[in-house]
Amino acid sequence: MTNEEIWQAALGEIELSISKANFITWFKNTSIFSIENSRVILSVPNGFAKEWLENKYNLHILRALRNIQPDVKSISCNIATSRELPTEQSFKPSLDAVIPPQNTSPTYLNIPKPIPPSLQNNLNPRYTFENFVIGGSNELARAACFAVSQNMGRIYNPLFIYGGVGLGKTHLIQSIGNEAIKTNPHLQIKYIASERFTNDLIESIKNQKISEFKAYYQKIDLLIIDDIQFISGKEKTQEEFFHIFNYLYQLDKQIVLTSDRPPKAIEILEARLKSRFEGGMIADVSQPDFETRIAILKRKAVTQKLDISPEALEFIAQNIKNNIRELEGALNRVLVSAQLTKNVVDLTYTKKILSDIISSSRRKGITHNHILKAVSDFYEINPQDLIAKNRKREVVRPRQIAMYLMRSELQYSYPGIGEKLGKRDHTTAIHAYEKIANALKSDEKLIEEINNLRDQLYLLG
Amino acid sequence: MKLICTQENFKHAIHNCERMVSKRNTLPILNNILLETEKGGLKISATNLEVGVSTKIGAKIEKEGKITIPAKLIGSFSANLGNNEENVILEMIEDKLKIKSGANKAIIKGMSANDFPLIPSKSTKFLLELPSLEIKNVLMKVLPAAALNEARQELTGVNLFLGEGELAFASTDSFRLAECKLKISDDQIDLEQYKILSEKKDSFIIPSSTLIELNRIIAGDNPGKIKIAIEDGQIFFEIDGTKLVSRLINGKYPDYRHIMPESYKTRIVGEKTLLQGAVKMASIFSPGASGEITLKIDSPAKKTFVLSSSAEAGENSTELNFDITGPSQEVVFNAKYLLDGINIAASSQVAVLLNSESTPAAVKEIDGKNGEVLENFTYIVMPIKN
Repeated sequence: MTNEEIWQAALGEIELSISKANFITWFKNTSIFSIENSRVILSVPNGFAKEWLENKYNLHILRALRNIQPDVKSISCNIATSRELPTEQSFKPSLDAVIPPQNTSPTYLNIPKPIPPSLQNNLNPRYTFENFVIGGSNELARAACFAVSQNMGRIYNPLFIYGGVGLGKTHLIQSIGNEAIKTNPHLQIKYIASERFTNDLIESIKNQKISEFKAYYQKIDLLIIDDIQFISGKEKTQEEFFHIFNYLYQLDKQIVLTSDRPPKAIEILEARLKSRFEGGMIADVSQPDFETRIAILKRKAVTQKLDISPEALEFIAQNIKNNIRELEGALNRVLVSAQLTKNVVDLTYTKKILSDIISSSRRKGITHNHILKAVSDFYEINPQDLIAKNRKREVVRPRQIAMYLMRSELQYSYPGIGEKLGKRDHTTAIHAYEKIANALKSDEKLIEEINNLRDQLYLLG
Repeated sequence: MKLICTQENFKHAIHNCERMVSKRNTLPILNNILLETEKGGLKISATNLEVGVSTKIGAKIEKEGKITIPAKLIGSFSANLGNNEENVILEMIEDKLKIKSGANKAIIKGMSANDFPLIPSKSTKFLLELPSLEIKNVLMKVLPAAALNEARQELTGVNLFLGEGELAFASTDSFRLAECKLKISDDQIDLEQYKILSEKKDSFIIPSSTLIELNRIIAGDNPGKIKIAIEDGQIFFEIDGTKLVSRLINGKYPDYRHIMPESYKTRIVGEKTLLQGAVKMASIFSPGASGEITLKIDSPAKKTFVLSSSAEAGENSTELNFDITGPSQEVVFNAKYLLDGINIAASSQVAVLLNSESTPAAVKEIDGKNGEVLENFTYIVMPIKN
């Protein structure tokens, strides 16, 4: 057992016997300095910890250490006087005490910054420009992102990328970070989803560490925020983000944002933020065309060394149009099941495997009659009762659910729904839809019922 | 615990300690200050685990004991006590402290003193014993140049160098640097210890926050002597009845001496207030972020100008009738950094020394009696490169 392992084990035991606040206060940054002749010398960060550990916690520590090494007789503490990593210090070129300020910016730009491990950039190295498939739908966005990665902070700042779910926004913006870090590993890069950003902010407000929160973000050279639309309506987050944004922007630090819609269309976003988002470059990624979809599937098949017939790929690309993630999902599904059943992946096999995904996304052939049947079967009532003019308690709720489903699944008009259910008024249908929609927000039993009904519906269809 | 002390002493001690307590603590007891009876007096202690301070005041002890009470509460209470000659009576009742002074009475809920951190005490003799006022003057000169930004830990402190017959205090935030030397005589130091220590390690970095606190403690017209001891990554100060202990900053202070020029080509000398005014005025017209101002010395015409201009504000120039030696110069500075140096200088006349538009410039003090440049204080500021 190394000294470090012994100390980790001992800390684990000590942690149980004292309060958390005490543990953090007194045992942070401690380690075993040496073990000689059953005398353990601990390295502690300051004199206070030395006094406290030697005088108050010596028995706790001794007991914990003896459980691991029974021969330990005494402990004492040394105040750590040298850096924990002295080698790192000596490798650094000696810095001049005074450097000339640059006349463009008053910050510490020309001091090479070590990357503290705490500044994790959150980047996924899998996302690079090399493995991004370019097509007509994303050409502009890709070009903008690449340009930004080559020339940070100077050309398109901020860069705003928008587009629907699963079209490659995240891939693109993470590629910027990965590309930039390749050319300059000292860059401080942060990729964060706006929801995490909000949570971190709330956390820092709670712990009264708001200034640390700000200082942390103000040190960043490339800030990438994903799904910025989620800060709409969160005023404090917007305000803090606004300040951080301005600060970084003025120092020519690059900011990259994504959203599922253009800045104009984000509701409840402060005007000043909106205008700032629009101040740089806005690029969209739209749904990939057929050729791009094929290219993506082929690339995926090649990288995973998979054997799949071109017709099968075409079939997948033709049927799944909206979303690259679904596209890849469908391909994976085919391949995994092919591996399990040891089948050759050809067109017919693909059709069979994907039949349920594809048919459910079409929802063909379901009419109000199917809904009425499903509802009356599910609640064990007579279908005629749903249509009949009565307000028996046991039919009122199913009738409302039927109305809700006709609206949500078939997009019937309200008057149409009223008509189908015994010539009722359209306001009745509106009321029913809203009532169920509201109840769905809290009533878990209802959610389950509706889900069951949907399943039945699509089985019938 | 039961005791009586004067209100003045009590207020003074509480005031010294209460500031030490930091606001964000993981450990609730750190929000408190410790009151304990010790050898016929009352000792009040506080710590934030980086710095510990304790002040001992005279008191009439009727019953020994100790307790901790919230620092903020007792601080506000004592600050609001009327400024009169009343005594303060303290009495511990279980876990509460009863305080009575004149017409005021308070009962403060406390916490057990057993959980209060032990403030480290030194094991060696004192290394130095100096007039407090000298230390205070040094601190006033070097503290403003220390870095606030914690990106480089070692720059957030003041470097103390134990030289032969002198101490050198230096601070820099990597844009400017202040160095102040203090002559010491043999009777002010413990020679044996000084020798051992300076052979082992002759340079220590003291956190600025500790020195700011020390500076506050050294108050009044005649604050007496300050005693200093250094051991084990810690530094101890003692002034009158107050003890201060602080950690030292780990790390290597940048070797600043090689950037301080040996000699200067051009020198201007003149009234501090005039130069101050000129630089301040120029900074109003300088472009926002970089605060550039130009110091133009026209040697043949014997004129010095402080100039600035910006696209938004316009331009400004102040002519100074300063004493010039050496060739003409035209150097661009950041107004704030230059002004800080001039502000720090304690003499009524100051000197600005230059070599070229791209090498370090210096601000120094002038001896009021003989007009010579004083060498014990140097403020180095780097020109802005164009």
